[in-house]
Amino acid sequence: MYKYFPLINVFVLMITAFTIPIVRKKKIARELSIFSNAVILILSIFILVNVISIGDFHYKAGYPNTFFGIDWYIGSIESVLSVLFAFVSLLIVIYSYKSIEHEVPNEKIDFYYILLNLLLASLLGIIYTNDLFNSYVFIEVSTLASCGIIVIKDKKANIKATIKYLIMSTVGSGLILMAIAYIYSLTGHLNMSLIHEVIIKNYTQYPNSVLIILVLFTVGLGVKSAMFPLHGWLPDAHSSAPTPSSALLSGLVIKVYAFTLIKILYRVFSFSIVNETIILNVIILLGSCGMIFGSIMAITQKELKRMVAYSSIAQMGYVFFGIGLGTPAGVATAVFHIVGHAVTKSALFLCSGLMIEKVGSKKISDLKGIGKEMPLALVLFTLGAFSMIGIPILPGFISKWYLSLACIEINRLSLVIIILTSSILNVIYYFPIIINGFFGHENLEGKVYKSKSVSIDRMLPIIFLMTAMVLVGGFSKNILNFISTAF
Amino acid sequence: MKNDIVLREVCKFMIPAIQLYAVYIILHGHISPGGGFAGGTILSCSFIIAHLVFGRDYVKSKFNFNLLIKIMSICLIIYGIIKMYSFLTSGTHLPHPPIGVPGNILSGGFILPLNILVGIIVACVMYIVFDLFMEGGK
Repeated sequence: MYKYFPLINVFVLMITAFTIPIVRKKKIARELSIFSNAVILILSIFILVNVISIGDFHYKAGYPNTFFGIDWYIGSIESVLSVLFAFVSLLIVIYSYKSIEHEVPNEKIDFYYILLNLLLASLLGIIYTNDLFNSYVFIEVSTLASCGIIVIKDKKANIKATIKYLIMSTVGSGLILMAIAYIYSLTGHLNMSLIHEVIIKNYTQYPNSVLIILVLFTVGLGVKSAMFPLHGWLPDAHSSAPTPSSALLSGLVIKVYAFTLIKILYRVFSFSIVNETIILNVIILLGSCGMIFGSIMAITQKELKRMVAYSSIAQMGYVFFGIGLGTPAGVATAVFHIVGHAVTKSALFLCSGLMIEKVGSKKISDLKGIGKEMPLALVLFTLGAFSMIGIPILPGFISKWYLSLACIEINRLSLVIIILTSSILNVIYYFPIIINGFFGHENLEGKVYKSKSVSIDRMLPIIFLMTAMVLVGGFSKNILNFISTAF
Repeated sequence: MKNDIVLREVCKFMIPAIQLYAVYIILHGHISPGGGFAGGTILSCSFIIAHLVFGRDYVKSKFNFNLLIKIMSICLIIYGIIKMYSFLTSGTHLPHPPIGVPGNILSGGFILPLNILVGIIVACVMYIVFDLFMEGGK
């Protein structure tokens, strides 16, 4: 029975998405969205429990026992990511229940929830699928839905950012489609496991074709997941979008393409094939550049949301760094970083959205003394920032620690210096906000204690996300062991 | 263009013919080439011609946008439920899609009902997109 759950997840989200325009009531739209997300979370937890107790499984939709049926594969990473996505998305939708009216025009709120449901459905589809063309279709749906949740605010900056995002990610989709066409003409299959069987026998005859396919996939998925020199769309899009959209885009959407890259590099191809090509060196170089330059660009930002968006580029650098190491330990750490960063960054975006809403200014300089006016919000922000910087126990530290261990394991000690430099740069841009918020006589002068604090029910999603973050850090060993069973 | 009497009179004959042809293509999808998407596109072409020749108000008097969006959503939901049923019961247990028999509606499995739904969805969406670009979403 549990084998049908992944399919039911996607169906429930898509069908509730199209129930919303029939009722066309804002309140019902929100409740339907929360309800469907809760159902997805419960089903995803069932899938996770079954994968832990019984093991990974395939589900063939359409025509079973043929090579052209659509194959879905649920292993350890897929089940963890699906619980993570359902959890984060549920909390973001609950947060948006009270706050969406401040940011989105009134008549568009029901459309917003259609797009959110479609986006989550396509993200789950990308995670579950074991079929290249199926994943391409879901990638297209997710691109259009994420463009929609940026442009829905209807301001000048949003339209500009969305057109930039649309053009760049369409180029990325084109490259992915080209790579899929190439790999199909080479192997005659679209199913990842079958391609793997063919390619592992024949790859020595086609070294250039394999390299071209890998480069096309890396660049195409790199555009969508903000790999360093292709990140131009991210700061505009993530900072101008409504707060729940920013949290969803930064927390989940860019991660799923990095996971697709992991699937293609290590499941379609394999560690041995990929290690023979130059592509891993390119990925590790771009990841390191992202870690350093993303942080440097974040230091120079004047607006809070823009700074947090640039921090996402730096954190995606860690994921690509882990992928580029080319060892099971490195890739498992990259997946762990995806998990840790998803909960942390979405909570940070929700926190900064709350602070911006109450202060009424996007500028970092206007947030001085905010620690006295909104103590709880800044405490939660500080906790998230600590994870980004790498304070022990929190997931940011764990992934940096294991990435360093993975570097030492393959005798590339110089890479550890990059991780350390990036951590120090993270301190430089997160600490001024915290220090100016809590301390300093001239900052706190004239501020009234708790004058801008919001009611506790609006804070609850952020508190849950932060609790989840601490738990991810606390149970990091179990999560990492479970993820490592996939390789 | 709206005042050209030749155009108006010709279109009065053309539009029903186009719609009949579209319905033919949708209903023959399980037997011959064609099907929901092609037929739906042709159906929406007839709406677009009516919009261009007789004006937007004429088309809006026949059906308004909220109705179109509701019809489209209901079709999508039915499509999802039928497809979910066929996926959960492992499809038709055949390696290839069955070829239908003329005159027998369910002879092609779920292909004909799905074609009809796709035709309605495509016709609605094509016309809505045309109208959004033509009038700027007023």
